[in-house]
Amino acid sequence: MPSPNASSAAEDLADVERVLAGEPAAFEGIVRRWQGPLVNMAWRYCRDRARAEEMAQEAFVRAWRNLAQWRRESSFSTWLFAVAANVFRNELKRIPAVSLPLDEIVEPASPASQSAEFELRSRHESVRRAVLALPMPYREPVLLFYFHEMDVGAAARTMGLPEGTVKARLSRARDLLRKRFPRLSEEYIAMESAASN
Amino acid sequence: MTDERLDRILASEETLIPSSGFTATVMDRIREEAAAPPPIPFPWKRVLPGVVVAGAGLVWGAVELTRLAMAAAHDSQSVTLPVWSSAMPSMESLGWVALALAVSATSWFVTRRFGGESGLL
Repeated sequence: MPSPNASSAAEDLADVERVLAGEPAAFEGIVRRWQGPLVNMAWRYCRDRARAEEMAQEAFVRAWRNLAQWRRESSFSTWLFAVAANVFRNELKRIPAVSLPLDEIVEPASPASQSAEFELRSRHESVRRAVLALPMPYREPVLLFYFHEMDVGAAARTMGLPEGTVKARLSRARDLLRKRFPRLSEEYIAMESAASN
Repeated sequence: MTDERLDRILASEETLIPSSGFTATVMDRIREEAAAPPPIPFPWKRVLPGVVVAGAGLVWGAVELTRLAMAAAHDSQSVTLPVWSSAMPSMESLGWVALALAVSATSWFVTRRFGGESGLL
């Protein structure tokens, strides 16, 4: 998901310097460039659109307050995502996302009345919701790994953890999800081919 | 479920488009923050002498207590007086209590005065 590319790094730096020089309006460029990634990142944490926007807004305000703390060693986006992850984590500690305990999430059956495509979507959504039911130490690596388009290094930098720790937690999270959805692998292949026809 | 399948499900997340007023809402908050007066710095210059005096008092108290405890332990080996009789208030200990009360009252008075000046009280 993180989309603004290398050319935006120079724009980020210029905007940050203008803000630090006393021009708050320059922060708008940062918001415009990064609103999409931050709202989508927040969405993965809570799966509630309205709340995702509130959380992303809070992350921008926190970034604004702490802008002077960004040391240019890492890219602005790396720093921004780390600030945002911290905000989202704390926000979810305060008011957890609505999710069932992992043990209570059942693998959907395949009623004949449902179309293959609908059934497939329903299963995808169940798996994504199951991620929210994982304990936080396993949930966050999964959320950030896929948010960063399966880049372990980027996920690790956002969490401020070593890559090895993130890999280990991802592996454990996958084990938990596999146990919860044992039938998915076989049926999935058939449904995917049916949906594509 | 294979990792590959799991990857495909979790990576194929729908993309949300932020609502149209999102940037404006964030910038309103930023402008509010920018317009707010800076937080009042903690008055270290005023507090520091008090902290130093209190720290010194604590250290002195700890040293005195240790010294008294050691003396009491030494006395208890030679004299077998009941414990309560050594704990009876003497004129000396009453003096210490009076001094402690005076220090507390002074500290309260000074705090009130500084607080009143800064408009906190």
